[in-house]
Amino acid sequence: MAAPMIPAAKTASPRRLLMQRFAESPLAVLGLGTLLLLLGFAALAPWVAPQNPYDIGALEIFDSQLPPGSVSEFTGTTYWLGTDGQARDVLSAMLYGMRTSLIVAVTSVLGALLIGTTIGMVAAYIGGWVDAVLMRIVDLQLSFPAILVALVLLSVLGQGVDKVILALVIVQWAYFARTARSTAMVERNREYVLAARCLNLGSRRIIFRHMLPNCLPPLIVIATIDLAHAIAAEATLSFLGIGVPVTEPSLGMLIANGFEFMMSGQYWISFFPGMALALLILAINLVGDHLRDILNPRNAQ
Amino acid sequence: MRLTRHRLLTATAFAGLTLGGPALADDLTIGLKSEPSSLDPQFHVLSPNMQVALSIFEALTTQDPTGAVKPLLAESWALASPTEWDFKLRPGVTFSDGSPLTAADVVFTFDRVAKVPNSPTAFTLFTRKIASVTALDDATVRITTTVPYPLLLVDIVNIPILSKTAASGPAPEGRTTTEMNRGEGLIGTGPFTFVSWQKGADLVLARNEHYWGTAPAWDRVVMRPMTNPAARAAALLAGDIDMMEDLPTASIADFRANKAVNVVSAPPARSIYIALDQERDDSPGIGGAGGKNPLKDKRVREALSLAIDRAAIVERIMGGAAVAAGSLGTGTMFGTSPAHVDAPRPDTERARALLAEAGWGNGFTITLGSPSGRYVNDARVSQTVAAMWSRIGVTTAVDAVAPPVYFKNRDALDYSAYLGSWGNNTAEIGTTLTAQLMTYDKAKGQGTANGGRYSNPELDRLLDEASGTMDDAARKALLEQADALAMEDYAILPLHFEVPSWALRSGLTYAARADQFTLPQFVTTEN
Repeated sequence: MAAPMIPAAKTASPRRLLMQRFAESPLAVLGLGTLLLLLGFAALAPWVAPQNPYDIGALEIFDSQLPPGSVSEFTGTTYWLGTDGQARDVLSAMLYGMRTSLIVAVTSVLGALLIGTTIGMVAAYIGGWVDAVLMRIVDLQLSFPAILVALVLLSVLGQGVDKVILALVIVQWAYFARTARSTAMVERNREYVLAARCLNLGSRRIIFRHMLPNCLPPLIVIATIDLAHAIAAEATLSFLGIGVPVTEPSLGMLIANGFEFMMSGQYWISFFPGMALALLILAINLVGDHLRDILNPRNAQ
Repeated sequence: MRLTRHRLLTATAFAGLTLGGPALADDLTIGLKSEPSSLDPQFHVLSPNMQVALSIFEALTTQDPTGAVKPLLAESWALASPTEWDFKLRPGVTFSDGSPLTAADVVFTFDRVAKVPNSPTAFTLFTRKIASVTALDDATVRITTTVPYPLLLVDIVNIPILSKTAASGPAPEGRTTTEMNRGEGLIGTGPFTFVSWQKGADLVLARNEHYWGTAPAWDRVVMRPMTNPAARAAALLAGDIDMMEDLPTASIADFRANKAVNVVSAPPARSIYIALDQERDDSPGIGGAGGKNPLKDKRVREALSLAIDRAAIVERIMGGAAVAAGSLGTGTMFGTSPAHVDAPRPDTERARALLAEAGWGNGFTITLGSPSGRYVNDARVSQTVAAMWSRIGVTTAVDAVAPPVYFKNRDALDYSAYLGSWGNNTAEIGTTLTAQLMTYDKAKGQGTANGGRYSNPELDRLLDEASGTMDDAARKALLEQADALAMEDYAILPLHFEVPSWALRSGLTYAARADQFTLPQFVTTEN
């Protein structure tokens, strides 16, 4: 049996090492740069967007469906990416929409990470019937298509950003629980855990102070990839018209709204938000893929 | 190049549905927005079912494209007493199997209506005022109503006549719904006969060689359900279908400019309106009003009406495929108040002044309930109304949900204001006002769609009186008075009437109908 190792304690500055290894892939760096840029725009949307698309009283209906570059006859503002069917500036709506998409995705992934990891680690540490029951619940959850579960939940819960987050947490926690359990199963029998047990430390302390840091790397990778999934899932739900409120569209809803105008050549209503969504997911996936390469213990050799 | 690829894609998509071989000159293929739930003409009151039934069968009376009642299988009728109608059958009419139409067939048909089991929406809706149907002789039928009932002629448009010999059977109702779905007993006097039907795919009809009237232009009609409007439009442009129902409003301008297709529109009929809660003090969707319900104040309702620019909604949201409304009835509808045919002009200044006068100068908040995907562009119309209300200080949120959720919420009175719609096939405003604005009383069948719970004894009295008045001129005057009363009280806010559109390949035209039915006998070649 191999000697137990605690990877985090290997060098003086693991964070620096991580950054160095991350910088090895130019594609991942490009992805990270794009992601930070998009995050920045989304965070600063209220200050950088030309219009507040959520203030419906300020929308001028006669400015609807204008092509990119049109100037409003009423306010004199230029709609660089055109306007949608409700006279929202597509650029502003995109920035605000991205904000909604990101808030939903990040919050739901963090929630799922928290709940899933806790359940997975407890199951692995205690074992026996607790493990069996929890893992059967996970099996049950994973056997249903995520989007179907979310659809059912939202039709019961109703609309709203908070409800979408809740629905996404419910459909995502099982992935984290499964991953956390499998890593924790390995860690449970390591000497440092046995040593901690010999010292008669509490279960809670052993799980969260000793085992958790060693189980984190795969969970971080899953979380990054899942972030992209959550954005796509929210977009799908909003596309189907059951996600966020219609007056506060996210990227997915903007794409859906523009769909009916596609046949009549008004491409910009769907196209630009679609590009933004694709770029966002691509950037997250590039970062996530490379993180997985670095953190995967199998590649460590 | 683009067209070729288009054709290829569509051809691939429908390879499983088409029967193969080039279309003959006298074939007509129609892209339907939804397919019938049954072929039994007495099973389910549903537009897709009705339009198939009215291609194979005919009723005693019919409606012309504007909705006016015309004779069909009944050549003429006379009142023997205020409750006894004698219908004289048209001579020389035969069923598609060659047998002649007699009074016995009519009696059999009306007798079957109440016997059809498990109907989702029963046809008794149209026969509930009928006490009995009897044959006076082979060519005369007497219908006796329970009360004097002027709308009988419109109601029986929906009861197409079956052949007694063909539709009889061991079950209480004769041929059962299941048998009829297989095509058994579908013998009518209409212009087409049944050929085949595969649920989810094509319904095929052929010309009735025994038809008594003008022979239809088509040897064979294929009705193909294509629920996605974009797919229907693409199929029409590619030449896979000759006609499509329900052209999306976003495509209307393009299709009108396209020489390869012909767009026809029906007279407006379905009304879209906003209902306002005028019953409760503590209304669920209202905020910032200190537990009061501002909608109970007529000035507030007037302000909300004045805030809405109906012409802008018609132009920008409905793509011109609507008519701005000043009443729940169109200008051509029997009993619409002539003073309220034109939509009110928007006036935000006056709206603000009225709000201030009513003590709501600082505004309040309200949630507007709306279906998403039930009526044409419903969620977009609601958002636009919300924007217009927000401008006068009534901050409005839109709760746009899937239609089943919307209907559940609406029926549970969970909305303080909601976007609603009412289709009126009787061409008389009395039915609309009775359902929408009469004091709610389920037992009496009045105010059944009155989600705002508006109640006005004077209006109730006028409508009660009108419903039993057989003299047309007197009834018209009463209805006009009732309509004017309701509109001047801002009991409900009419927005517009939807104008249904069809698109056909160029060279074809359709006598578009206010009842929104797609009837292949009225599709003709242009000369």
